[in-house]
Order: sequence, then structure tokens, then C-alpha cells
Amino acid sequence: MNPTRAVRLLVCGSADRGDDGAALSAVAGLLAGLPPHLLSVMEVRRCEQLDLEDLLDLPDTTACVIADAVIGLPVGQVVTIPLTELPDRDAAALPIPRSSHVLPIGQLVAIAQVMRDRPLEGSFVGIGGRSFGFGRAIGRPVRAALPAYRCAIEAALINAAATAERRTV
Amino acid sequence: MHVTPEIDAPGGPRPGIDHDFNVAYITRVEGEGSLRLRVRDGGVVEARLSIFEAPRYFEQLVIGRTPDEVIDIVSRICGICPVAYQMSAVHGFEDLFEVEVAPEIRALRRLLYCGEWIQSHALHIYLLHAPDFLGYPSAIAMAADHRPIVARGLAIKKVGNQILSTLGGRAIHPISVRVGGFSKVPTAAALAPLREALDRAVEAAQETVRMVAGFDVPEYHREPNLVSLVHPTEYPYNHGRIVSSDGVELPVDRWDDAFEEIQVEGTNALQARTHDGGVYLLGPAARLTLSPGTLHPLAADALVQTGFGDVIRTNIYWSIAARAIELLHACAEARDIIDGYQRPAEPRVAWTAKPGRAAWATEAPRGLLFHRYELDDRGRIAGAQIVPPTSQNQAAIESDLAAFAPSVLDLPHEEATLRLEQLIRSYDPCISCATHFLDLRVERPT
Repeated sequence: MNPTRAVRLLVCGSADRGDDGAALSAVAGLLAGLPPHLLSVMEVRRCEQLDLEDLLDLPDTTACVIADAVIGLPVGQVVTIPLTELPDRDAAALPIPRSSHVLPIGQLVAIAQVMRDRPLEGSFVGIGGRSFGFGRAIGRPVRAALPAYRCAIEAALINAAATAERRTV
Repeated sequence: MHVTPEIDAPGGPRPGIDHDFNVAYITRVEGEGSLRLRVRDGGVVEARLSIFEAPRYFEQLVIGRTPDEVIDIVSRICGICPVAYQMSAVHGFEDLFEVEVAPEIRALRRLLYCGEWIQSHALHIYLLHAPDFLGYPSAIAMAADHRPIVARGLAIKKVGNQILSTLGGRAIHPISVRVGGFSKVPTAAALAPLREALDRAVEAAQETVRMVAGFDVPEYHREPNLVSLVHPTEYPYNHGRIVSSDGVELPVDRWDDAFEEIQVEGTNALQARTHDGGVYLLGPAARLTLSPGTLHPLAADALVQTGFGDVIRTNIYWSIAARAIELLHACAEARDIIDGYQRPAEPRVAWTAKPGRAAWATEAPRGLLFHRYELDDRGRIAGAQIVPPTSQNQAAIESDLAAFAPSVLDLPHEEATLRLEQLIRSYDPCISCATHFLDLRVERPT
């Protein structure tokens, strides 16, 4: 890990649990096509289940993008939410990531912000899923939405890199 | 069919107080469930802990699979206690196949289990349960006022994750356990960084015991039937006999000789009882009570210092102290194992599958976890039964709720909910495991 990277991409989910593999699949298809300047400032971390440690050891100048499949959205719908908004979102209105069940993602982000004594820069990019059964492939509606999901993750990465650059300056 | 019997509240029913008390979604537990209390004449006549987390069908998923595939599949049942699922399965298969593993492999498996207990107990004590005792609605609010406490808990948890990563390939759903041993075993040099971290973790775990010993715990007393593995020389993880405080003693593969699963209306989890319908308690309180003599000396000292030996048995709220003492045990034993580590000559021994019954129980952080598999002539799974600790504890939770609830029903709903959730969290339930929790509703007829 290079601690000076400006952006950390946390890719959540399991490739063998149906739609839970959406973020992994999207990122796998995205990385090769990213501009070199963006790749050079990125760290990609695969975290099957988001852990507080993934957020606590973020360097001060690093912004973060979390990608995961969620429930609570129409299947295939893509949503981007600033990390600073996650803790205060009403639980009922928040898409629920399927891969971080130890603590809800809003609580993870909130605890990380308290422990770091500063807000987490970056965003959460979710895609609505339906089928999370073990041993299944990604469902057709989610597969069809993967291009849009890739675009949303790329946009979040570009924004995160710009945010990190502004903080460094 | 719901089988919760009518329960007399302590002090007897209070005439004229009839209501139903509902908690629609239980917070700070793993998984999704709710609580409903039916109150008649001031007494709780039914306490139902409903688990609405979706059924997950793992017992069907393993049909037709090979033993090594099963070990990887069952670890996916839980992100907090995957090692327990792997261990109950692997020991069952090795027992059937008459596989003898080297003492060094056995020690590494205990180290892996220590890692799981450390991360699970630290998570539960610091992020899920401590806020109840320190008067905070969540770990977030607690962290704002008690940052050093939360930082200490996270540091201990991190050591557990490091052990799992080093031995299991990754912190969540480790992948190295195999029938006959491991796919790969670490060098002594790979374990060296853990040794230093464990020195700090032992001190932090001792501080944890001191912290929880100072908590203000609600008054509550009952005499539960306790069940856990008991081993003559080691604190129970992977080996021993299934023992209960009311006299049951069984080989580790014969859980079903004394206990059974039943379907209960309104919940997606099976519950477990003794064959005669009795309720029993698993977990840290049961283990500490039944196996105090095999605690690591540092943990045994801490238990004596707290003077909590008896209340841990009779007051479920003190389970946080039992968990803290086990956290210390796991940190200290992990350090000892690393100090004495000899790398096995081979990571695993060869084995040949055969048909028959493969069954075993080990001690997950939350309590006894029993697996039973039937293998066909090709050595593939023809039938499976997985009995997680939360489904075994569920009847005890409902029984405790029914007994405790009358003391809080006169409180404002929010405060009553908090007290009842605190009781449920004392069990450290893992609902994802059991569906294979709260939204509190108290029903009062108008």
C-alpha cells in the first residue's frame, strides 16, 4: 500500500453471491480503461465486508470511494452519496449494503469520522441488487446496469481525486 | 407452532395491566429481528423474539459437495464467526475419516480460534454492548466522549483480524482450513509481528476486564441450565465433551442425543431445546462456569479479582464481564501458542473420504456450534444439520425477557426498549447465523 495515494477505492462484496459481486465486476472492467493520471493516485482495496479499519487507516489527505451492491433501491439503479451524508441519513431512506453486516455503513463512517476527528472525504456508490444467494451469478438486470455503475464509480473517483488534490494544495 | 409457555412474572401478575409491547427492529445485534411482549394482568405471558432475516438454506447448499468444499461454504454463514463453522465441520470430517493431525496443526487451529474470539468479543464489548452501560445510544455517541476506550477496543479487534489474516489468508471468511490440516502454514517469522501486538492486546484486555467490572449492571437473578464443551486440560474451543450444569455429559459428536431443533411460528430460525423441552444457555457465561479451571492463569486471576464467578452464572447482564475475561484468555493463549510455535513438517496429512456420519461441536464466540453431515459412498454430502448457538440461545433469551420485562414495563417505552435490548445484546446474538432481531411491541388489549 502506498500511503501517499490520493484516493482509496474500497470494493465490497463477494463474487460468488449473485448481485453482491456487482462492485467487483464493475471495478474489474473499469480499471484498465481509467486514465493513467487517475490510476497513479489510486489505491484499490478489496474488502469483502467493509471494516472500520479500512476507514481508520486512511491518510489525512486521502479521499475514499466505497462501492457495493445494496438493497433498498430498484434493481440496477445506481446511487452516489457523499460519505459525510451517510451517518445522518434516515435508516429507512438509506440503501443498505449487503456486504457490511457487522455494523451498518452509516455507523462505520460515523465512528471513523469521530475517531479521525475529521470528516471522511469521498462517496459511496451503490447499485440496487436483488439476488444475493451463495453460488449464483450476477442477475441479468444488474449485469445490464454495470456500464452505468462503472461510469458512476469513475465519476466518484475523479471527484475524490480532485477533492484530495485541493486538500493537498 | 409457537411453543413459548405461559410464564408467571416475578411478583405475580398485576391486575388491570394488559398490553402488547413491540420493538420493531433490534439494534446493535448482528442481523434483523424484532421483539413482541404480550402482557396480561401485569404479567408477561409471551415473549417472542422474531427473526425475520431471510432463510439462507446452507444445509441444502452443501448437498452433493465434497468435505473441503463444505468447509469453504459453511464459513460463509457468518462474517464474524466463520472459523467456528469451519472448525465444527473439519473436526467432524476428520473424526469420520480417522485423520490424526499433528499437535502443531492442532495448536494452529487453536490460534485461529483465538483470533476469531478476539475480534468477535472486542467488537461486541466495545462497539455493541458498552454503550448500554455507559449511557449512550450508540458506539458513535460513545466514541465522541470516550475516544480512548473505543480506540482500545478497535486496537484489540485489529489483533484478532491480524491473526485471522496471517493464518487464514484473510480476516473475513478465511480460506486456509482443510481436512487434515491447512492449505498453508505460516513460518515463525510470519507470526513474529503478532507476538508484539499480542503483548499490547493482553494489557488492553486486562484493562477491558477492569473497565467492565466497574459497569452499573441491572439486578437480575435466575439459575439457567448451562451447556458448553468441557475439556480436562484446555479451555474449550475444538475439543472436549458436551456438558450441562444439570448433568448431561456427551461425546462431542452426540449433541442430538440430548438436544433437538424445533420449528417455532413467527421466526425464520429453528430453536433448540433439550429432548424434554428444557431451555438452556450457551456462551461465555456457560463456559466460564463449567470450565473455570482451564482458563489461562492471567484470565483466571482476572476472574478472581472481579469476584464475579457467581453473578456471571446468574445474571445475564454480567455476560459482558465473562466475555472480557474470555477476551483476555484468548489474547494470552494466542501469545503462548506463538511463543511455543513449531512449524509443522507438512501443512496437512492425506486422507480418504468414506461414507457415514460426520459430527462435531466446537465453541463459537457465542456458544456451542454443532454440525452433523451424512456422507454417501462417493464421500459427498447427502444430508446436513447445522445448529448455531443463537438458535440454541433463543429460547433462553425469550425466557429471560419474560422474566425481566415486568420490571421495566412501567418505564417510558424508549427506556423499556433500551433495557430489553440491553438484555438481548447480553447474549451477543448473531441472527444471520440463526437464520439459518429488534422492533419492540408490547400488546395491551384496549
